[in-house]
Amino acid sequence: MKAALTVAADLLREASSRKWFLALGIGITTALVVLGFALRLEVVDGALAATRLFGKTVNSDIRSVDVALRYVYRGAAYVLFYGGLAFGIVACADFGPSLLAPGRIEHLLSLPVRRYELLLGTFLGVLCLSMIGAVYGAGGFTLIFAIKTGVWTARPIAGALLASVTFAGIYGAMLTAAVALRSAALSAAVGVILFLLGIVAGYRDRLDTFFEAGAAREGFRAVTFVLPRVSALADASADIAASAAVKFDVLVSQVTGLLVFGFAALALGIHLFEQKDF
Amino acid sequence: MLAIEALSVKKVYRGFFQRTGGQTALAGLDIAIPRGSSFGLIGLNGAGKTTFIKTLLGVVRPTSGAVRVLGGDPEDPGVRARIGYLPERLFLTNAFTPRQFLASVARMKGVRVGESGLRSQIDRVGLGGDADRKIGGFSKGMRQRLGLAAALLGQPELLILDEPTDGVDPIGRAEIRKLLAEERARGTTLFLNSHLLSETERVCDRIGILAAGRLVREGNLLDLCGSDTAYRARFAPGYPEGALVTLGLRPTDIEGAYRVDAPDPAALNAILDAARAAGALLIELHRDLRDLEDVLTDALAAPPPQEAA
Repeated sequence: MKAALTVAADLLREASSRKWFLALGIGITTALVVLGFALRLEVVDGALAATRLFGKTVNSDIRSVDVALRYVYRGAAYVLFYGGLAFGIVACADFGPSLLAPGRIEHLLSLPVRRYELLLGTFLGVLCLSMIGAVYGAGGFTLIFAIKTGVWTARPIAGALLASVTFAGIYGAMLTAAVALRSAALSAAVGVILFLLGIVAGYRDRLDTFFEAGAAREGFRAVTFVLPRVSALADASADIAASAAVKFDVLVSQVTGLLVFGFAALALGIHLFEQKDF
Repeated sequence: MLAIEALSVKKVYRGFFQRTGGQTALAGLDIAIPRGSSFGLIGLNGAGKTTFIKTLLGVVRPTSGAVRVLGGDPEDPGVRARIGYLPERLFLTNAFTPRQFLASVARMKGVRVGESGLRSQIDRVGLGGDADRKIGGFSKGMRQRLGLAAALLGQPELLILDEPTDGVDPIGRAEIRKLLAEERARGTTLFLNSHLLSETERVCDRIGILAAGRLVREGNLLDLCGSDTAYRARFAPGYPEGALVTLGLRPTDIEGAYRVDAPDPAALNAILDAARAAGALLIELHRDLRDLEDVLTDALAAPPPQEAA
């Protein structure tokens, strides 16, 4: 396990020097700084009286500040969920193939580590990376609004962490694809396909009515059954961030399904990795 | 005690859906390398050298046959903990400094080494001034040196080096040879794969020649390159040319140098005494060793050994 943690730590160090992640860090920081300085919220007796962005009034409807923030946090949660997933798929697709690069994998395998530890370490490193991004982005956003309105909540951060967990599920399959064919493009393609099909799978109960009852509908339900419910999890993330009611049992079922999918994909990847010559 | 033992090792690379045929990298390789020796593996490109090295590390699994390293299975992490390995083209992450890279390798090797230990290891391979520089700006030779430092971490019992001096300048090569000599003096077994035959000659006392996945020649350097009965003698200017030829000495391309064949030391001395009596002044005498390149050429020209039925 120590080796897995070392691989994860090395991956974080490697990520810190990659342009993608430097750009993400700069982007999030810039957005937070701009928001912090350009956004003015006038709160009077627990009500949001006016909102000004760059000195211009955006909204002058008077409403309870915690209600107003729900819309903001919901919107931010969707942006963070879908944006984070799309960014993660593209930016992290290369970590698996990079681990398997000629000259690197032989060296790593010559060390006294178990093969599965290398893959597990990569997975944990990417999970950690996505969580750092989510906590930094959502945490900074929440902190700014909390300071400006006096309403403190950690729910947007919890919503962002759900996005990280969703990404981890998808990344398990991406890593397996990378092990099978050592291709960053293929790894990213698997991520994109799962992302899109996952959106469809999240609305499968509504969408299956578009199919004729019978084999077509059952086929659709069978295919979408195994996929992570990306859109449903995005809705749950937004509900959590906006302090809306969340059906806990449904959420647990969706997260469990996601984890089963992710771990099954990772287990397949580890199996392939154990069999492979380098 | 053997450091490396391979018995009828075969490795055939096949495609995912391929059940027969495929590319044979190792075709029944047998080898036994004693502990403490310095073994050089030479051969043409595609002979199977790197594949064999990878089987020693568990990176490649043989199709058939058995490999034992330091008395154990190379897939056992406990065995690999006692091996230092430098791959042919070590991939180093540009974001790391040498110190960070070695610290990472040390953690994975389970070697407890402090800051001063890391620095001394970096100094040892001549990168002391670059310990905190990003690897991204390193030359090929510097990367090789760093890879060697990683291989030497934890005082391994067996060092497996694949082209260790590739890209290293002549001074650097001499430094690496010195390092390897120090490791040998410590009792480390050295397994070297190099295209630089002169390098192999200088570092190794045993040589193996690999061709088409088989070991076609193997033995001490002297056994392979020399003969117990052939010597080379050199005389000071003014030597009696005709008398020397009469005594059975054969002139070479070098001025004053002759080949001498003598079945034993007494016969050799008798010939030399006769030469001196004829007025020749001996200034140099050594075994007549062939160039490793000639040995390799001969070995590759010889018909391949028949596979055992």
